[in-house]
Amino acid sequence: MAKNDLTTRNLMLDSLKQYAKNRISFNLLREYDAKNEIPLDILKEMYDHDILGVHLLLIPEEYGGLGGQTTEIYRVCEQLARIDLGIATGVFATFLGSDPLNVGGTPEQKAKWFKKIAHENKLVAYGATEADAGSDLVSLRTRAEHVIQNGKVVGYKITGSKMWISNGGVADIYTVLALAPGGPSWFIVEKGTPGFTQDVHEDKHGIRLSNTAGLAFDEVYVPAENLIGLKEGQGFLQAQAVFGYTRLMVAAFGLGGGEEAVETALEYAGQRIQAGGPLSQKQGFMLKLITPHYIRFEAARAYIDWTAKQLEVNNHGLATEGAIAKLYATESGNKAAEDAIQAMGGFGYTKEFAVEKIKRDVKITCIYEGTSEVLEMTIFRGRWQEHLKSRGQYYLNQAAEFDALHAQNPQVGADSIALGFRALARILEDCRVNKLTRHQYVTFMLGDLISEMEVAAVFTRQCANKIVTEGSRFDLATLCTMARVNARQSAFKTAGEGLRLILGTCPAINTAEVSQAVNLVGIEDKMRGLIDDMDTVSAKLREIFKK
Amino acid sequence: MHIIVCIKQVPDSTQVKVDPKTGTLIRAGVPSILNPYDHFALEKALAIKAKTGAKVTVLSMGPQQATAVLRLALALGADEGVLLSARAFAGSDTWATAYALAMAVKKIGQFDLVLCGQMAIDGDTAQTGPEMAYHLNIPQITFCESIDANGNTVVVKKLIEGGHQILQADLPLLVTMTMPADYVAKYPSFMAAHKAQDKLIRTWTDADIGADPHKLGLEGSPTRVDRIFPPPARTKGEMFSGSDMELANKFVEILKKERVVK
Repeated sequence: MAKNDLTTRNLMLDSLKQYAKNRISFNLLREYDAKNEIPLDILKEMYDHDILGVHLLLIPEEYGGLGGQTTEIYRVCEQLARIDLGIATGVFATFLGSDPLNVGGTPEQKAKWFKKIAHENKLVAYGATEADAGSDLVSLRTRAEHVIQNGKVVGYKITGSKMWISNGGVADIYTVLALAPGGPSWFIVEKGTPGFTQDVHEDKHGIRLSNTAGLAFDEVYVPAENLIGLKEGQGFLQAQAVFGYTRLMVAAFGLGGGEEAVETALEYAGQRIQAGGPLSQKQGFMLKLITPHYIRFEAARAYIDWTAKQLEVNNHGLATEGAIAKLYATESGNKAAEDAIQAMGGFGYTKEFAVEKIKRDVKITCIYEGTSEVLEMTIFRGRWQEHLKSRGQYYLNQAAEFDALHAQNPQVGADSIALGFRALARILEDCRVNKLTRHQYVTFMLGDLISEMEVAAVFTRQCANKIVTEGSRFDLATLCTMARVNARQSAFKTAGEGLRLILGTCPAINTAEVSQAVNLVGIEDKMRGLIDDMDTVSAKLREIFKK
Repeated sequence: MHIIVCIKQVPDSTQVKVDPKTGTLIRAGVPSILNPYDHFALEKALAIKAKTGAKVTVLSMGPQQATAVLRLALALGADEGVLLSARAFAGSDTWATAYALAMAVKKIGQFDLVLCGQMAIDGDTAQTGPEMAYHLNIPQITFCESIDANGNTVVVKKLIEGGHQILQADLPLLVTMTMPADYVAKYPSFMAAHKAQDKLIRTWTDADIGADPHKLGLEGSPTRVDRIFPPPARTKGEMFSGSDMELANKFVEILKKERVVK
């Protein structure tokens, strides 16, 4: 069977949208949100092969699944997030929980467990996090001891506890990270195994439709065949192999949640008459609260899609790109949801409107699968290595690429990208020469600036190559205008923030010299026409989202 | 039994706006969907398939993007798809479209039943189905809400002014379907969408179906659209308030004034 093509992906997304439209009303979501309860019947329907069978995407074809590619999985994640981030998290937990198996399982293990998940519609949970082991998995405390019979390891006894596990209280199958004598390893534990208990569901700020619970293991016996890969000590490798991929999915959550919030606000603004006209016609309202978010969403979409296509070729890795996608998209989504409340004023602040719930929900995307700060550190480390290895040429080479791009297509902001990359290269170099990365804060901020520039660059490059990212509702001309705005702002942020960091940590640096090198003035010069471009985008938004 | 269902890709009219200046549809950002009447007709054909084992072929005319609705139909259970796509078809009105579709049906060959939606929501003409029956020289029944196949005959429930008729007819036949107000369209599961990729969609041009090019496109279309415009907005009504008795007296007064009652 062929891989799913674009038409098939769109069909799946349409089915998902229609299902949600007919089955999941906002009132229903509100009710579950208030009750702090997982809508298990909805999840079961989503897993029902005859209704949707969403979970089949993550199961390879040879085990009765759909062998979904990264592209369709992220697009489904985006759509799920638009429906409800709690439900999305419930589905995602099954995706995530199956990943250690996907990466490290033996063919026999895959056959056994994937068939179970595919055909019996089992919910899966991913049990890694502990009280003292969040992003820092090295502090893992849960242990798996050998059970030996006739001199042979026949099984393991797992003891310890896990916390904040999505689907923790409702899953049928758990993949659990524990420290075996040979090192950290993944084990499959089924619900009902003696000694294995689940705590009560957490009372969370958001994603209240997602079940989150602690797990406790008291000498829980699992047979040796439940050790994923049948080899101890592979746990961290198996966990890290999929970070690029899983973080891309959470990036899509941030995108979907943010889009849903701003679209709700924009719809409202089209109908809310103040001072003689709808809010959506007011320039300040649009440019402050709505338009910049759509620009960032389209940049995020371009980047997520580009990374997804790379992952489909490389399968694993791209940890830095996954981190960039997640940091950028989830922070953008979170900020957008906050502004959506602001845009709707008092209405937005009530539970009568979806934006209040989305704001609470989307915040989790900046926390789980690596907090924004952990991601900033990851991104910084990844690209710092490139900067050092290339003797400072890494971003200068990319700047040259964008100079050439600008010569071919002057409409997509490639000139600003080139300036931004040169500024970034200089900032990194000053940090190296003056040892400024000894400040942890500097490394965080650099991670943020790197993410800002790389996303903007991909968006601009896609537009220069006349690529309209699938799932976008905008035409190429509008996307080019967006890319132009985005490139200028990202370069400006990079140069301005960079100077703040360098001068803020190293007063001895010559201000005039570094300012000239970073060329903030040159970047500022590109701002001509910026507000006109933003107004153009606003007009397009009014046209597309007019009711 | 072989059923041919004619389907069309249309802009989702719930999201389409009319530009008040030019009178044209603003299509920017508007998703395309399977015409809901055709969706309903397709589901009815698939119900007959489930009961009798009939073969269902879906037929559409449109640009390459229209493959999407054929794929949806295949995912829902249709067996094969045919797309009529060529420059010669562009600009066809209902008459020329019906001619092209009828020629395609003839090329498909043996068939027992042609099912169409009553109308497409982008044009609202309800002409193409009946005109196809003319071109195919077969009988037709329009505005049917249900259909059941029984051996060599079908039984339909046809909506008429103030009620309905139950009609039985021999095959071959063309039926256009309308749908109940509470109709909720079915959509395929992910697996069905995936598997539909393996089903056959043939793309035919005007030459493939042996159509006379003079009978296609603008040249073959007797209809000329003079102007499209949104209907003028209704003027605001007058609002009254008061007790029931006061309101009743007010209404009687107005009715008398307007000479509706004496």
